[in-house]
Amino acid sequence: MTANGERRQRTLARAVGLGLAAIAAAALAVLISSPSTSSSHAIQQAPALPASPEPALRVPSPVRLRGSVGVAQWASVRYGVSVRASASSRARIVTRLGSATPEGTTNIVLVLRRARDRGGRLWVRVRLPVLPIGSTGWVPRQALGVYGVVETHLVIDLERLTATLLRNERPILRAPIGVGRAEWPTPKGEFYIRNMLTRYRSPFYGPLAFGTSARSSVLTDWPGGGFVGIHGTDAPELLPGRVSHGCIRLRNQDILELGRLMPVGTPVTIR
Amino acid sequence: MARDEQELQPRSDLTLGELDRDGAILEAVEQVSGETRAAFLGKAAVGGAALLGALAAPPIGQASAASDVAILNYALTLEYLQAAFYTETERLDAVGGELKRVPRQLGAVERAHVAAIKKALGRAAVKRPAFNFRGVTEDQSKFLKTAVAFEDLGAAAYKAQAARIKSPALLAAAISIHSVEARHAAWMRFLAGVTPAAAAFDEGKPISEVRAIVASTHFVVARPKTRARKKPKYGG
Repeated sequence: MTANGERRQRTLARAVGLGLAAIAAAALAVLISSPSTSSSHAIQQAPALPASPEPALRVPSPVRLRGSVGVAQWASVRYGVSVRASASSRARIVTRLGSATPEGTTNIVLVLRRARDRGGRLWVRVRLPVLPIGSTGWVPRQALGVYGVVETHLVIDLERLTATLLRNERPILRAPIGVGRAEWPTPKGEFYIRNMLTRYRSPFYGPLAFGTSARSSVLTDWPGGGFVGIHGTDAPELLPGRVSHGCIRLRNQDILELGRLMPVGTPVTIR
Repeated sequence: MARDEQELQPRSDLTLGELDRDGAILEAVEQVSGETRAAFLGKAAVGGAALLGALAAPPIGQASAASDVAILNYALTLEYLQAAFYTETERLDAVGGELKRVPRQLGAVERAHVAAIKKALGRAAVKRPAFNFRGVTEDQSKFLKTAVAFEDLGAAAYKAQAARIKSPALLAAAISIHSVEARHAAWMRFLAGVTPAAAAFDEGKPISEVRAIVASTHFVVARPKTRARKKPKYGG
């Protein structure tokens, strides 16, 4: 074979090779694209569709609970129930809880802990609005209704004659108070706010009054059972002082502020 | 059939009513003593009234259709229920093990749904009802069963309302919540040993059905009366 013939043959072979490669590439492209030809077409057409509407509302980031520091739980009493000394229907009866307070509001109790009896029945240990001071007892869960949560705690200082409201253990209100005279002392201990009374006509109690679970151990025959209230006054000039029958008196502007900040169910420490 | 497959038998649907056939959720209700059946049913009716109220809210501005506001309030009521359920469970700290993180994670999301819908409704938003979960938030097994039912219910409720929503913007928002509820439902179903997605197509649940299911739980109750207009009888 001459040199010219060899060159022509190599050129032909290269041309055939390129042609085959082009055919193979085209075939591969067809193979790859053929199963989704319609999808590709639709996606190419997508920009022609109208834009999605902006959602009418934006859901923010998940809202975590603020933690359990200074948090207390209370529960409403659904029906009259015997309170037991331990989490068992055979345990000694401590007292009986009604479903309403003397003021006609729903009776509530402060939740302390829970336990199950041998039969798996759920019981709740609660703080009681009865004498002796500091009484607690167990009631079946089914006798309780709504659970409430508060982040506040009221501290009554009988020495300094101050009321301090804490939220998550941080003070948010401090006010001078009037407390019981020596013969009618304000009881010390752990209690809770049972209800809030408003819009009554009695300047003596000011514009607002809280009922507490605390009871006077001296004035037990007082109408309503001798419960200790936290209320306003028509004699602010006596505060701070030891001037009451055991109730805790605040200036009217302070009791109104307390009414704004302190929910029912708030634990109360009197010390 | 493998053991795993047996444990994950497909279920066409899982409603609160079905779950409660073994008395898990309403066990506490059945044990109720010291209260007449009529009184009990009366309290249940309060829950039903609250839901009805959610469907009768007045329209708000921004040219929203009244029916869209009603649907949004309906969604808000269900979100209140879910948020309260998980929040109370987290507060009580009564579930543990693999369920420990469920109330924390799902509660945070449901509270976000509540916040967003309330903000959108403004003054037209229905008030949060009171709930008595009757010990379900204090029992591991009952908690999981109820979580499955609530998440299934939430997804089905949103789905049923989608076609009724007039505002495209509101529909977009509802869909974005619906898919999250569906993810929750799948997660809870998996934890409960139920097939997360048994059917190829899901059916929605109309309001009447959702309302009946929620009312059957007796979880929605009258709010405790903690205030009164009465002269104090304290020692003073």
